[in-house]
Amino acid sequence: MAAVTDLETAPRDRVTRARTLHGVLAGVLVLACIASLQIGTTDVTLSAMLAKLMQGEALSQMERVVLFDIRLPRLCLGVLVGAALAVSGAALQGLFRNPLADPGIVGVGAGAGLGAIIAIVLSASLPVWVIDLTGIHLVPFAAFLGGCGSTILLYRVSTRHGRTSVATMLLAGIALGALAGALSGILVYIADDRQLRDLTFWGLGSLAGASWAKVLAAGPMIVLAIGAALMLGRGLNGLALGEATAAHIGIDVQRMKSIAILAVASATGAAVAVSGGIGFIGIVVPHLLRLASGPDHRTLLLNSALLGAILLILADMIARVVIAPAELPIGIVTAVLGAPVFLWILLKRRGLVDL
Amino acid sequence: MSLIAENIRVSYGTREALRGVTLTALAGQITAIVGPNGSGKSTLLGAITASLPFLGRVRLNGQDITGLKPWELAARRAVLPQASRLAFPFTVIEVVRLGLQSGTAGDRPEVPLQALARVGLASYANRTFHDLSGGEAQRVMLARVLAQVWSPVEDGQPRWLLLDEPVSSLDIAHQLQVMEIARDFACAGGGVIAVMHDLNLTALYVDSVAVLAEGQMLALGTPAEVLTDNILSRAYGCALRVSAPPPVGIPYILPHAASHP
Repeated sequence: MAAVTDLETAPRDRVTRARTLHGVLAGVLVLACIASLQIGTTDVTLSAMLAKLMQGEALSQMERVVLFDIRLPRLCLGVLVGAALAVSGAALQGLFRNPLADPGIVGVGAGAGLGAIIAIVLSASLPVWVIDLTGIHLVPFAAFLGGCGSTILLYRVSTRHGRTSVATMLLAGIALGALAGALSGILVYIADDRQLRDLTFWGLGSLAGASWAKVLAAGPMIVLAIGAALMLGRGLNGLALGEATAAHIGIDVQRMKSIAILAVASATGAAVAVSGGIGFIGIVVPHLLRLASGPDHRTLLLNSALLGAILLILADMIARVVIAPAELPIGIVTAVLGAPVFLWILLKRRGLVDL
Repeated sequence: MSLIAENIRVSYGTREALRGVTLTALAGQITAIVGPNGSGKSTLLGAITASLPFLGRVRLNGQDITGLKPWELAARRAVLPQASRLAFPFTVIEVVRLGLQSGTAGDRPEVPLQALARVGLASYANRTFHDLSGGEAQRVMLARVLAQVWSPVEDGQPRWLLLDEPVSSLDIAHQLQVMEIARDFACAGGGVIAVMHDLNLTALYVDSVAVLAEGQMLALGTPAEVLTDNILSRAYGCALRVSAPPPVGIPYILPHAASHP
């Protein structure tokens, strides 16, 4: 009887572990948020401000500016961008049925970047009504279009008869990235001085310019995209068996793929638009979670959002303190931490690329 | 209740893979599709499962399948593909649960383990699917398919198992086991259509045989009617001799006796 009990309970373990992980990660995220508000280049700390408030003292002008205009929007942006990049990675990997698909690696990020650069440089020549209509959403929306275009192109090139060739996907990603880079280079020549400055700051891949305007510009798109992606769990699980079998077990494959592409493009697009290129979150986060609690997308996607937000906040804290009072672009921190993990994945599972 | 494929035509580019094939399969029976390589067996199954574009009409329990949503079809029939590749390291039980979620037994968590036990792999529940041998993987996929249509009859309507070469990578014991599973499913009122290569297993287990050759239906009937020297020799293009052991009278085909014309 013991063996039977073991069989009945053991398979549920990964499911239980993944659900427990929801709570654990949410808790860690709260702690990371508090830490992020506490630490900074000035002496202003969250604990000191809370102590002041407890004693009924008012906050100084500087304390208010540091907390509400600098650290809080930066924290919000970090949470949004981290969650967006990690969920994009998990959804793109599910869509391409390969754990190496990452928006940054396969050119979706580059496409989104091109969209953003086009919007920044050409916004001066757009009709006024377009600017009025789109407002702060112009750059994220353009990045979304760029991301969408490159995802669809990538899927067309690398998938035949419902089968994705990994080699084609990665090579097509390199080509897409090069093309987007070249077009971006041309636009940089056209740009005037003010636009050049915008582009340079944007391209560093940083949360340094965080403002409430940016949070508002990217927030709704990212929240919508993550919400849509979270509903893809069952469909992406089915897709792991191949497109034909996914259809046989009752999944509307075309609709699911369209939703996945739109969600990935808008999450990546909005994240790239406000933070430039921040790499490796999308590949490292889902991979770690698959090791911890299995590949079931019904829990993987939400856990990715949480862990992505946590890692990006932590990376941002590192970026802020290592060379204080200056700060590193966060893209450098995520690359230093993420690239070795990526190599380790390749080393451990060489078979992935041969598929 | 039946599954009727009427005048099915499928083209791959300019090549016509199926040229107007009509097949009727009854619930409560196993129907086998046999024929040489490239005769259109898997293509016919592909049309019946709506996995590829085709001309003609397929009616499942009286309903045209083109009018049914994917999840409505999934509740009525389950499909075993020839080979399955899995993208992520799911465990065996997780794979079987994928079938459960899409079928009508979704609220019965005991079904996946029962389905695994049915294919003799209950102790494999927590193994990683990628670590299985080809034959084990095929049986796990069969368990997933069984979990999807766990009750052969539901709401008075038969459920269907559509199997593409279900025994192709199995040893002889498991070939018999899988055919027994199919027969039990049919005996309980469900319908089974299987693409088969092994003519002797076909003769042993199935109720109705469709012989395809060059995209056309050469013969359709009981094994005794269809598995004859004449029909098989025409279908496979080599002189085959069908024999019958005296006590049971089930036809068998001895490859040793074949001769090329």
